[in-house]
Amino acid sequence: MSAAPKRRPFDAGSAAYLALNLLLVAFLLAPIAIVVVFALNPTPYISFPPVGVSLRWFQKFFAGSDFMNALALSLWVALCVLVLSVVIGGACALALARGRLPGRTFLTAFFMSPLMLPAILTGLALFQSYLLAGIGRPVWGLIMAHTLVAVPYVLRTTLAVLHNFDHRIEEAAAALGASPTRVFFEVTLPLIRPGVFAGGVFAFIVSFDQFPVSLFLVMPKNETLPVVLFNYMKFDLDGAIAAASMVSILLALSVVLALERLIGLKAYVKL
Amino acid sequence: MISRRSMLRTGASLAAAATVGTPAISHAQTKTLKITTWGGKWGDIMKATVLPVFEKEFKCTVSADQAFPFMPKLQASAKNDPLYDVFHTNSNEQWSALTEGLVMDKFTTKEVPNVADVHPWSVSDKIVGVAIFTSAIGLGYRTDKGLTPPKSWKDLADPKLAGARGGYLIPVNSLGQCHLMMLGKVYGKGLQDLDAAYKALEQLKPIKLVDFTGQMEKMLLSGEVSEGVIHDSGVYRYEGQNQPVDFASPSEGVMALEQVLNVPPGSKVKELAYAYIDYMLRPDVQKLLAEGVWYSPANKKVKLDAKYDAKLLTRPEKVATLIQPDWKWYNARKDDIDARVTKILKG
Repeated sequence: MSAAPKRRPFDAGSAAYLALNLLLVAFLLAPIAIVVVFALNPTPYISFPPVGVSLRWFQKFFAGSDFMNALALSLWVALCVLVLSVVIGGACALALARGRLPGRTFLTAFFMSPLMLPAILTGLALFQSYLLAGIGRPVWGLIMAHTLVAVPYVLRTTLAVLHNFDHRIEEAAAALGASPTRVFFEVTLPLIRPGVFAGGVFAFIVSFDQFPVSLFLVMPKNETLPVVLFNYMKFDLDGAIAAASMVSILLALSVVLALERLIGLKAYVKL
Repeated sequence: MISRRSMLRTGASLAAAATVGTPAISHAQTKTLKITTWGGKWGDIMKATVLPVFEKEFKCTVSADQAFPFMPKLQASAKNDPLYDVFHTNSNEQWSALTEGLVMDKFTTKEVPNVADVHPWSVSDKIVGVAIFTSAIGLGYRTDKGLTPPKSWKDLADPKLAGARGGYLIPVNSLGQCHLMMLGKVYGKGLQDLDAAYKALEQLKPIKLVDFTGQMEKMLLSGEVSEGVIHDSGVYRYEGQNQPVDFASPSEGVMALEQVLNVPPGSKVKELAYAYIDYMLRPDVQKLLAEGVWYSPANKKVKLDAKYDAKLLTRPEKVATLIQPDWKWYNARKDDIDARVTKILKG
């Protein structure tokens, strides 16, 4: 007869670690749970426990032309920002990591500076600059502003990949006769791709949820979703806000999952 | 609440009136009038009816900004080319804007002819520009909690309401600022007796505080607060929806929450801006908006339907209960007041 398996002794440290992690997960997910309850509850105010399940707030959200126009504009701006910040941030990271640029430390700090400034000040400063330049508040101005605050994310993630990059692979490709362009597209880019696209995902989400910078730069009838929601909240604080938040969360999640399927962000996570 | 059908019907009559109107400005060229305006139900009526009729009558386009904050945007734009041609906001911000030279002081009947027909509160010495509507700030309460309907501002301090009374973050909300001044009047020597107001504010703790009036509405509806400071339209708008809430006008008077229009002196389309203000004071436009959002109209000639007339400030005896705060005085002390009330209500 075999002996009963020995019970592992109680480890207080592991238990505390597990409890802390569970607490953190709860802390992160609790606001989302509240949003879900509010979005599905038919009452026009937050009540707990919920009195039922209804899709009336989702119907209101999707039937509202203001909401739909804002959602479409936010998606369009976020997609443009994703592309622009990937191109600009990726190129900057390559230049900073690979080029022999004088004042490289200063330049890195300079490109990262939009993250140091309060975003509301960035928005106000750009608003004033646009007015002084006489260009008003066009959508492309909004895209530029979002790109400004999104580039540091791509820059940081790409620099992290380049930090661990083995240059000998590029040298081997060049030694075997590949042109610099071919080396870039067939060796360098595939290797830094996870970092660039992880930054791109951040850029998309930063732009899609951007409120303080957009606040000053949106035009009447051309407002992004966070701005429309903020203004809506001042007059009609009902479940449509929660429904819109749910849609935003699902959209952001979809983008992350789509990019994971397309380019495999796990590769970046493993770095 | 006004129905979609009646809104369309009124819109049609506004359009008909527009064809026989006598606009004071040239119709020769298409201009753009840049205005600020509210969202919510107000914004819906403006977009659906009021603005299209104005655009048609004056052959212009109106660019209506509903995205707060209006004041910093106006401040950031050049004075000789302001971002807005008509600045719609509450009285406290209008006074700040006047101090900085961003808006005009008053309008004459030559500029805005309908000013001749307004209630005195609309153009009083407490107003910069012209107030086109007002709400009454009083007490909203639940009717299902066994509470005696409040008769005085002092009723909010009833110990039974501890933790179930509602107020505002005073530094960011003009209703909260009005309430503070009212505490000075009720417990001290007058609206400007801040020491008495601070002492009374201390006695209101514990109190639930919100940023926006919309949040106060929802707290009352959900029962999270049983009694709170709110404007009449924030309660009356739920009439007919079977909600256990009502509004009380305290015996000491109600505070005015005016909707004020003004024109930045540097506007390039000043005549059009005056025409817009005059249009907003027309009896038919006033009636449509007053009944749509439960605001008391400024024009004395407006005849509201009975159910609105019974509750809004249209008759002289009701108008007499309206107290207008001195925002110039308040704004000059705002930083000190903010610091003090934050210390009192912290936590």
